[in-house]
Amino acid sequence: MGPGLAGYILRRLLWAIPVLFIISVLVFVMLRMAPGDPAETILGNRFDEEQADVLRRKYGYDQPLTVQYAKYMWNLAHLDLGVSVKYRDFTVTEVILPKLWVSSRLGILALLISFGLGIPVGVYAALARGTFLDPLTISSWLLLDAIPPYVLIPLVQWALVLKLKLFGLGWDGFLSANMILPVLVMGLPGVAGVARLMRASVIGVLNEDYIRTARAKGLREQTIIVSHITRNALLPMVTVIGLSLPGVAAGALFVETLFGIPGIGQLSLEAVQLPDFDVVLALILFGSASFVLANVVIDVAYAFIDPRVRVGGARG
Amino acid sequence: MLLMGFVAFLILVVGVVGVVAIAGGGGDDEGDTASPSRTTTPKSGSVAKICEGKTLVVPGGEPNTQLDPIQVGDVETSEYIVEIFGGLMTLDPELKVIPDLAREMPTVSADGKVYTFRLRDNIVFSQNSRRVTAADFKYSIERAADPKEASPTAKAYLGDIVGIAEKLSGKAKEVSGVRVVDDKTIEITLIEPADFFLAELTYPVAYVVDREQIEKDPRNWTRRPNGTGPFKLVEFTIGEQIRLVRNDRYHLGVPKLEEVRFELGGGSISTRYQNDELHVGFVPGTELDAVKAGRSPLAKDYRATNEMAVSYITMNPTKEPFDDPKVRQAFAMSIDRESINNVLIYGAYRIADGFTPPEMPGYTESVKSLKYDPVRAKQLLQESKYAGRLPRITLNYGGSGGNSPETLVAMQKGWEETLGVTVQLEAVDPVAYMREQRKGSFQMLSDGWAADYPDLEDFTGKLFRSDSSLNYTQYKNSEVDALLQQARRETDRNRRYTLYAQAEQKILDDAPIIPIFWPVSHTLVKPCVQGYPNVSMTVPKYRYVDIVKP
Repeated sequence: MGPGLAGYILRRLLWAIPVLFIISVLVFVMLRMAPGDPAETILGNRFDEEQADVLRRKYGYDQPLTVQYAKYMWNLAHLDLGVSVKYRDFTVTEVILPKLWVSSRLGILALLISFGLGIPVGVYAALARGTFLDPLTISSWLLLDAIPPYVLIPLVQWALVLKLKLFGLGWDGFLSANMILPVLVMGLPGVAGVARLMRASVIGVLNEDYIRTARAKGLREQTIIVSHITRNALLPMVTVIGLSLPGVAAGALFVETLFGIPGIGQLSLEAVQLPDFDVVLALILFGSASFVLANVVIDVAYAFIDPRVRVGGARG
Repeated sequence: MLLMGFVAFLILVVGVVGVVAIAGGGGDDEGDTASPSRTTTPKSGSVAKICEGKTLVVPGGEPNTQLDPIQVGDVETSEYIVEIFGGLMTLDPELKVIPDLAREMPTVSADGKVYTFRLRDNIVFSQNSRRVTAADFKYSIERAADPKEASPTAKAYLGDIVGIAEKLSGKAKEVSGVRVVDDKTIEITLIEPADFFLAELTYPVAYVVDREQIEKDPRNWTRRPNGTGPFKLVEFTIGEQIRLVRNDRYHLGVPKLEEVRFELGGGSISTRYQNDELHVGFVPGTELDAVKAGRSPLAKDYRATNEMAVSYITMNPTKEPFDDPKVRQAFAMSIDRESINNVLIYGAYRIADGFTPPEMPGYTESVKSLKYDPVRAKQLLQESKYAGRLPRITLNYGGSGGNSPETLVAMQKGWEETLGVTVQLEAVDPVAYMREQRKGSFQMLSDGWAADYPDLEDFTGKLFRSDSSLNYTQYKNSEVDALLQQARRETDRNRRYTLYAQAEQKILDDAPIIPIFWPVSHTLVKPCVQGYPNVSMTVPKYRYVDIVKP
């Protein structure tokens, strides 16, 4: 790695700081300005002004917004994200981390399936261009993608769990046979999207001069497909993979709800509905931060691959 | 080549992260949940397996607050609180008020104000076997009324005791109406006689907590609370499970089950029930017909449980056009509850032809809500002062316990067809909903109420007396107030019930609310589960349950 690249990475990371700062201010102000506070959520329909004041003091809601923000940031710097209003015995970190851990493992496995199958399927479809096998392959995967999860999941549960007794359903820890079905249901519908992108990318590469050169050199067709076509066609997939990563932690609401998986999707819905202020805040901040960071990673990856990007970055 | 190397590397990284995630997760999952229960009960179901062992697996609601009796106001959390904690009195599955930590029913002074409780000899806290004394009760009640604790229920459910109000407002250090006579005797003085007081004491806010534990760990004691209930909490993992194991020193008889596991993850409960993963499940609405008619294999496990609750529509009598009783009556008479129930929701509920449900002790059958009568409804609207010039009307929904959106649309249709009025339905978030309810700024609300203790005072009394903090209807009627005040103080039980019935009939005729349904829960219980009580409200019930291998 040359000094140019290191400088570029540093610049990109420094740029992420003001972006994250602006996001944090916006999100904080929006959530605090929205009607309602923890006192109202906790006391519910047994609300009483005096008690509400006690709770507002306890949660720091009696102070000016700027002080609240400064305190929040100070605590954030010390990895203290506040206290959940719903689970009052637990800190936000305690509430979020285990669910994040479950959702990201689920998401990564699903991504592995989507890309692991989507890439070869896309290459196959592209090479079969002009025959009926191309549309047949892509559309059969699209069919799976087209069924909404709240239809697909009960259907699959009925067939594979109740009728064929292949799987169990309840949450039994992440490492259990009960997780096979959720991972498949989450990963397989994503194959179609990846396959279509990969197909288009491969078709682009097929027309390149160097492929013709490789063929003219008399290379084996298998070598051409693997080393020349697929490898080059994978380049645009970097962005796709990179942008999929923040979503991994976001969880999948339908899969989590219908399989009873304690993930971040279910938690987000519940937190927004209540609302559980600090949990919502933490989730949004985490989501934005991972999105910003994923973009940095993608940019850096391209810079790593293609020096021209670095030069452009230096000028800009 | 560089680029291809990188792409290959990226794929590799994703792969490795995935593998590490899976492998790393293994240790973690095994580590913190390794416990005998994991191995004793099946997760992947089979009939034979689910009837083995003594661990009951049921779907559970996620608790809303910490597991502290004085912070609880919702049904989901109460389910756990009543199993973990206990008080002087408790409820049996027939909803009879029976002694819990008290040795027998208390003696009551002639003026009905002073209650003297004698405690049992063998009562101990479940986690450390410390003996419970009268001082623990005094501490617990004073803690509930401590303004710093901001208990949402202390004022409503302990407020009858002398000195609670002073303590709540910070004017007094102690609650003067609670006196420790000796280690085993406690005396409670009320502001005025209250026949419902013992029923009120069954509500969590009156339960006993362990002072030593709370003072030692004020922030985290509720993670392993030291109560006196039939079970003790051993695990609470958010979104996953709550595990209660039996209290081997429980004074009312040690539970037959070793453990009750509440699964919080949700998932498809009826599917999981059918797959023999749960002992208790619910019938999905769409299958209710088949189950009731015996056409479904689930029919043999089915039981309908009437709930001590009511769903209703509130019409704000301080807002146009509902300040005219005739308009309210016209609206009440335009809803065909029978058809809505039979056609729309598979006959899931009972028509609330009164406000108080029949499960309530002292229920009077002759009290009736206004009947569906479209002709009379039209006539009433014509006679009202808003005839021909009704303002725009909005009905807000979104709180808990109200009517489902599809039934609201059916009601909207009824008002449109009968009265020619278009009522706007507006969904609001729960907090905004409660704010409107509190401030009385709404026109119409979809609402509901479930009893916290089985007495008419907690239904008709608390909801309609104009000085009650739980009166969200904005309804104020001096005649009704007089009857309800009289009922509150009356010590002759039958006379008291009659007074509530008179008040309720007046309210229903005056129609500040339209009672819609008395809910029913449609439960499934595995045949090998015995003694699971059919009970219409939250009472400690798992100590009656057993799993018996067929």
